[in-house]
Amino acid sequence: MSTLSDLYRGRTHFDFVGNRRKWFAVSGAIILISLLSLVFRQFNLSVDFEGGTLVEVENPAGASVAQIRDAMTALGQGSARIQTTSGGDGIRVQTSQLTPEQEDLLVERLAALAGVDPGDATRQTVGPTFGDQITRSAVRALVVFLIVIGLFIAWRLEWKMAVTALVALFHDLIFTAGVYSLVGFTVSPATVVAILTILGYSLYDTIVVFDKVQENVRERGDRHTYSGIINMSMNQVFMRSVNTSFTTLLPIGSLLLVGSFLLGATTLREFALALFVGVAVGTYSSIFLAAPLLGMWKEREEHWQRVRLRVERRGGVEDFAPRTVTASVDHTAQVLHQSGAAPRPPRKRRKRR
Amino acid sequence: MSRRSAIVTLTITLVVVYGSLILTQATGTTPRLGLDLQGGFAVVLNAPEGTDPEVIEQAAEIMRRRIEALGNVQEPEIAVLGDSSIEVQLPGVTNRDRALAAVGTTGSLEFRPVRDISPIPGVSPLFFQLPPEDPTTTTTTTVPSGSTTTAAPGGTTTTAGTTTTTSAGTTTTSAGGTTTTVDPTAHIVLPDGVTWCDEVEQAGCVDRATGLTPDPDPLLDAFLVSEPEDGGIVYHVAPARVLGSDLTGATAQFSQTGTGLGEWVVVLEFNAGGSVKFTEVTKELAAFPIGDPRRQFAIALDGIVQSAPQIASSVDPNVGIPGDSAVITLGSSPNQQEEASNLSVVLRYGSLPVAFEQATVQSVSATLGSDSLDAGLIAGLIGIILVAAAMLLYYRALGLVNVIGLTVFGSLVLVVFSLLGELRGVTLTLAGVAGLIVAVGITSDSYIVYFERIKEEVQRGRSLRGAIDHAFSRALRTILTADFASFVGAVLLFFLAIGSVKGFALALLVATVCDVLVVIFFTRPAVALLAYSKSLGEGGRMSIRGAVGMPAEEVGGA
Repeated sequence: MSTLSDLYRGRTHFDFVGNRRKWFAVSGAIILISLLSLVFRQFNLSVDFEGGTLVEVENPAGASVAQIRDAMTALGQGSARIQTTSGGDGIRVQTSQLTPEQEDLLVERLAALAGVDPGDATRQTVGPTFGDQITRSAVRALVVFLIVIGLFIAWRLEWKMAVTALVALFHDLIFTAGVYSLVGFTVSPATVVAILTILGYSLYDTIVVFDKVQENVRERGDRHTYSGIINMSMNQVFMRSVNTSFTTLLPIGSLLLVGSFLLGATTLREFALALFVGVAVGTYSSIFLAAPLLGMWKEREEHWQRVRLRVERRGGVEDFAPRTVTASVDHTAQVLHQSGAAPRPPRKRRKRR
Repeated sequence: MSRRSAIVTLTITLVVVYGSLILTQATGTTPRLGLDLQGGFAVVLNAPEGTDPEVIEQAAEIMRRRIEALGNVQEPEIAVLGDSSIEVQLPGVTNRDRALAAVGTTGSLEFRPVRDISPIPGVSPLFFQLPPEDPTTTTTTTVPSGSTTTAAPGGTTTTAGTTTTTSAGTTTTSAGGTTTTVDPTAHIVLPDGVTWCDEVEQAGCVDRATGLTPDPDPLLDAFLVSEPEDGGIVYHVAPARVLGSDLTGATAQFSQTGTGLGEWVVVLEFNAGGSVKFTEVTKELAAFPIGDPRRQFAIALDGIVQSAPQIASSVDPNVGIPGDSAVITLGSSPNQQEEASNLSVVLRYGSLPVAFEQATVQSVSATLGSDSLDAGLIAGLIGIILVAAAMLLYYRALGLVNVIGLTVFGSLVLVVFSLLGELRGVTLTLAGVAGLIVAVGITSDSYIVYFERIKEEVQRGRSLRGAIDHAFSRALRTILTADFASFVGAVLLFFLAIGSVKGFALALLVATVCDVLVVIFFTRPAVALLAYSKSLGEGGRMSIRGAVGMPAEEVGGA
């Protein structure tokens, strides 16, 4: 209870920097798994990247996959990928690229089986080069984005913060890509959009965290070691981070569930999944990866080494010096439960020196 | 922030936001929906590698014209993507084949000898033919749709130069004497093989009302206009003699002439077959005297006359213009520079050896589009409700500010998209809807940053009101820094990316700007007002004080 109350009041004393080895091990494992999956399983690319023809129809007549498979084989499209969508209310067929005549024939058969008008079919034909184009434009946007944002953080905050923020960002990217490859979800242009959003979110979150670090450095500067300041800042922003990712995940989760499983908008599902994973890992990395990394790096600076010596000489057991972790991380739901906490909290340790 | 200024700011904000929401919705200004939300047809066309950007622009222009000719397309969207692609979006279009035909084929470039030029701009030279003996036929102005009156082609043959051409004849034969009303165009004699459009639907027919050829056939005479929008000159042109495929290139150049005056010229390059044909046709044209309209040929791209140069006086009718290149001289003014470059683009586009390749063709059924929209809206609504509930539980009275703030934010975004759709033709796509749903989370973050900051200031021992003002300036700094990152990301994505990524970026861009506005003009005064309120400020469990707690002990110690 007291930990929860502390969490609520932002008075926790988790040691984020001191436990960095744990976090780094976790991140390292995540990245390793993701990379292995990317190498061995690769992506399940959508029709936009591979080229081909995609036809989607509603299925009021309730045609079975086997029936459609037969019809496709009769058309010489035995290798077509056939899926049901919207929990069986729709059919999606993906083939290699067809000529317009073949495509019309396919749509006609499919519509007849499913009991809809051929005009109500949604279809897409993509040449094999289109995916390249999308990828190229996205990669170009990405590179420019990273340079500009890196420069912005370096200018607004500090260049070491810019570098660690970008490290955290790549961590998030690799992890999200890994999830896609592991689960085997289709990578579509919508996914590319989602990944780009994750970049924005990951940086956004890291910036908020670093902004706090910088403010604390300015205000209390030399009285604490850099790790101490990071820990202090992390504890201060911890609830913000948890709340923010929680409130961001709520609408995305609803997009994921409502949008895809109830109403069957597959585009939304692919989109929402990447966002969901990305936002969660983005929050994690800004607290558990970016901040400890920054702490380690800054501690090596001469200035901060002198500070550390001075603090230690004074025998300073400082407030936010590394100490044992008392609780795990995810308390969001419980925190909500105790929202009727007494207005006057129990007396606690001193907050300021 | 004083109580007075908080009330004033808050009132103005709410009136402006909800007022403009009511205003836009009442006037029917709603966001324009993208193709994926309302159904329709989209195609992305790729030009061959290394195609001139001007040529792409020209092609897009021609597609626009053809699509307008399709009729009943609501707001077609034609955009040049990157440096070699064109994206065409036709919301609500269901006839794929016609739409594909309109966008998928190259322009047809034709060199046609001119037979006649209309004396009045915009009016077909056909209508200047003298009426035959019976003057009463011209008194009827209505054109019965099922008229059986036909004008048979005349039969006078004139020989000009070395070829045989059929000029407008003078004899009319009325067929089917059973009709009582007579077509005013009855006396007009069409050239050989050409018919009125309402008889036989065929390429090369002449529209009865305009006297123009909407869909010229290269093998038949045609009536073509130079500027279809502003009633340009109408030419009666002979069958095409040289085609775009006979051309290998065209460049605009500034050439120094013997007299020392420079002139803008377009240099045409022909392939072997083209140069023979061009020499032939120039021989014939040079046979006409200088000043005769028949001494020129019309360069028509997709049925529109782009230029109609005269054959130079120095050209010998027995020799023509030999060789594999020719020069069209335009003059020396800056105006002509532009004209020359435009003409060279037209010629290059028309002579493109490879048609645009269809990179992707997509048709979205209207039902799927509206399903996606519903899904997006329901998901968004549920998301907002969940966020609101969480914020109310966690931040109590402050959460209320967040809930109202989300509706302010939503209204603002809706107004902006309505206006963007109305003024700039911006559409809201599925990716855009998703972007907005994500923005709900990012917007909530601004509140959380501020609220957590208030907590922190209170913990440090500030009074509630002091904490609220102090926290705002600190929180705003953080919010601006973080929002700027999103903003830059969105702007870059918008300008660098294509397709759905662009729609998403725009939504994020609008959302980020709206977020900052809401924070400054709504959140700040609303929280300040709350702090002045007895029951919601310092009061009980649901108050701000209830959410932030009492200051910590030993304030300002050490």
